[in-house]
Amino acid sequence: MSATVSEKGDAPAGKQPDQLFTLKRWNAVAVWSWDVECDTCAICRVQVMDACLRCQADNKQEGCVVVWGECNHSFHNCCMSLWVEQNNRCPLCQKEWVIQGTGK
Amino acid sequence: MSGDSGSLLNQSSSTDQSKNGVSRHVTQSSMMIGSKSSNAKKLTIKNFKAKPVLPENYERETWRKLEEAVSAIHRSSFIRYSLEELYKAVENLCSHKIAKNLYSQLRDVCEQHIRKQVHVFDENIDGELFLRRLEQEWQDHCQQTIMIRCIFLVLDRTYVLQNSMLPSLWDLGLDLFRENVLSRDHVRERCLLGLLELVVRERSGDAVNRSLLRNLLSMLNDLQIYHSLFEKHFLKETEQFYLTEGDVKKNQLEVYEYLIHTEKRIEEERNLCITCMDNSTLKPLIACVESQLIARHTDFLLNKGLSYLINENRMSDLQRFYSLLSSIQDGTQSLCTCFTDHVKGVASGIVMDSNADATMVQDLLDLKEKLDNIVNTCFDKDAKFIHGLQRAFESSVNKRQNKPAELIAKYVDQRMRSGNKESSEAELDRTLDRIMLLFRFIHGKDVFEAFYKKDLAKRLLVGKSASVDAEKSMLSKLKQECGGAFTSKLEGMFKDMFHSKELMSQYRQYQSTKADMQDISVDINVNILTMGYWPTYTAMEVRLPVEMGKLQECFRQFYLMKHSGRKLTFQSTLGHCVLKSKFKNGNKELQVSLFQTLILLLFNEGDVFSYKYIRDETLCKDVELKRTLQSLACGKARVLTKIPKGKDVGDDDKFEFNSDFKHKLIRIKINQIQMKETVEENIDTTERVFQDRQYQIDAAIVRTMKMRKSLSHQLLASEVYDQLKFPIKPTDIKKRIESLIERDYMQRDKDNTNQYHYVA
Repeated sequence: MSATVSEKGDAPAGKQPDQLFTLKRWNAVAVWSWDVECDTCAICRVQVMDACLRCQADNKQEGCVVVWGECNHSFHNCCMSLWVEQNNRCPLCQKEWVIQGTGK
Repeated sequence: MSGDSGSLLNQSSSTDQSKNGVSRHVTQSSMMIGSKSSNAKKLTIKNFKAKPVLPENYERETWRKLEEAVSAIHRSSFIRYSLEELYKAVENLCSHKIAKNLYSQLRDVCEQHIRKQVHVFDENIDGELFLRRLEQEWQDHCQQTIMIRCIFLVLDRTYVLQNSMLPSLWDLGLDLFRENVLSRDHVRERCLLGLLELVVRERSGDAVNRSLLRNLLSMLNDLQIYHSLFEKHFLKETEQFYLTEGDVKKNQLEVYEYLIHTEKRIEEERNLCITCMDNSTLKPLIACVESQLIARHTDFLLNKGLSYLINENRMSDLQRFYSLLSSIQDGTQSLCTCFTDHVKGVASGIVMDSNADATMVQDLLDLKEKLDNIVNTCFDKDAKFIHGLQRAFESSVNKRQNKPAELIAKYVDQRMRSGNKESSEAELDRTLDRIMLLFRFIHGKDVFEAFYKKDLAKRLLVGKSASVDAEKSMLSKLKQECGGAFTSKLEGMFKDMFHSKELMSQYRQYQSTKADMQDISVDINVNILTMGYWPTYTAMEVRLPVEMGKLQECFRQFYLMKHSGRKLTFQSTLGHCVLKSKFKNGNKELQVSLFQTLILLLFNEGDVFSYKYIRDETLCKDVELKRTLQSLACGKARVLTKIPKGKDVGDDDKFEFNSDFKHKLIRIKINQIQMKETVEENIDTTERVFQDRQYQIDAAIVRTMKMRKSLSHQLLASEVYDQLKFPIKPTDIKKRIESLIERDYMQRDKDNTNQYHYVA
């Protein structure tokens, strides 16, 4: 998080009509990324924000999302679905792989 | 036919005589045709019983007459007999089979005459005088021969035709003339020398009796000694002449003058040849001139003059150069080589001059346009020149790493930014097309992409793009050139902008339902960027006023509700705001950055703050804070006053609200003091490019292996080289392959270490 809210409770802008400066419009910019512990997918070793290697090779960047296990580890969904065909454990902690959720 | 016709003639003159072999019954039978008489007799024709004979002295007398006539013709004097009579006489002699004698006698008479006549050449005269006499003799001879042939026409048409070995009377005349006149050395020699002298005088610009030259050369042609006597020597002389002239003129004249001179010479020779000589000489003659004046000096001329002509844009001279060289072997090839060398020199000069980076792209574009124009108009759109030009540009542009790609990206940015109103849409598009020509040469296309992306981000986020159409058009040009993978992230940026807009209208509804947000009058707009599509920005923590913090959190909740598994990071450096402000001299609307906003909002609480207080309140970093305060207190629009006055901001300075602030405009944009793009920032961008390259190499290898299943190292490497938009070293490819093998994307063949297999 890049901004902390002032604890002092400065007088909120807009309450006093006669103050010197009033904020009228705010154009903010925010960047979203997957909420993951580790930036890199341990299976394909590509950053999770980028599509996995196979999706990059097939030019299918759009649909390549992230999957989280109950162990809180995360991987590319495509990488993981290939992985569980052989071994239904998390490659990082060896716990049984149960999907907590996928990104959207 | 002559014999038969003679007998028929005799027969008709004496029909009544039984001797004549035609039976009387002819008349009877012809009378009885109508009466159908049963016993009609056959018509029979019989030969003479005795051959008709000529008077004994007929042959001698007739020849005497003919001989007299011939010698009269030779003397050009009056002929006593009528031509009709002479013609008949010849006809009669021929029909009495004494043509053979007649032919040989005629031949002797003519030969004797020519032998006598040859002595006119013994006189010691030279040059044109001699040529005139020869011409006269030849013309006389021709006239005489024509006359004689008219008289002896029957002989020519019968006897001579039947004896294929004998030359016709005309050819006989030519043979006699050749053997008796031009076989003599002193005649031949003087004739040749005279002719060559005429040619030399013609070349040196004298007005020469061309008809004399033409007549004598056509004489030689008729006598069939044109090639052996004249042409051989003439070409040799020509070669010598232009050998000398070329050596002298090439040093004396400027190259373009020399070319004009050569073109003139070729035209003159062509003209002379067409008017005076045999057609067959034209080709070797022109080839001879070209080889002496051009081919021998090609390299000299190119080295001496080409660069100058190109630099000065001498279109017509360049065109002349090309057309002259195109007629000699490998001529245009040499021109092309020299041309590309020149281009390489000039273009590399522009690229390597690090002091002129600001104008590099414009200079290259101008150069390219000029050279394209030269190739199109002067060099006949010759494919090898087009390719040569491209190769030269490609090698020059890539002599310096990364910088040209960066500068091209910057150049595009300047064109695309609003405020650049000097060009219309169509002109802008044309400029972009020209830029693509340069871009095509760049090996490190991803370096371009990185810098382009940085500028594009700025344009999109600040709303500074001149035209959406131009942006889209540039994007599609890049896509066409480099494929969808290259532009997918750039396209992603446009999509982010679009989705953000949609999302914001949903958010506004959401916010209006929130009870605790009702008292907030700030209009918020958030652009949500997908990490990875956009350039990486360094996050900077700041402390927001309560209202803004509330707003930000409200939006964050809304967003995470819509998208699970994501996190949102606000980029304080990219935010900007509109502030209403009250000054003594009127209300203003300030367009400011987020940092400027935070500082200004503090002044709602008091009039004077110390630097340290501002820093503690906003949590801004020193560099950023000083820069921002500078923009507010030391820039063009000073809404704050710095105490003490001065240009630089110090840690102990104080800042006061400037209530006397005046400005003629209502809406004022207070520019951030622009940090020059720091060296680190630049290196950062470049480094990120190199990191990304690894992924791209990996993706290319996996893509190729997936398609081919099994490949040798060489084939794999060459396919990967073709796919990638930047240069890579073979060792890099090897490393990436090792890494992919380690990660089980592919495996080495058990028996052949040079062979890989794809692992599904």
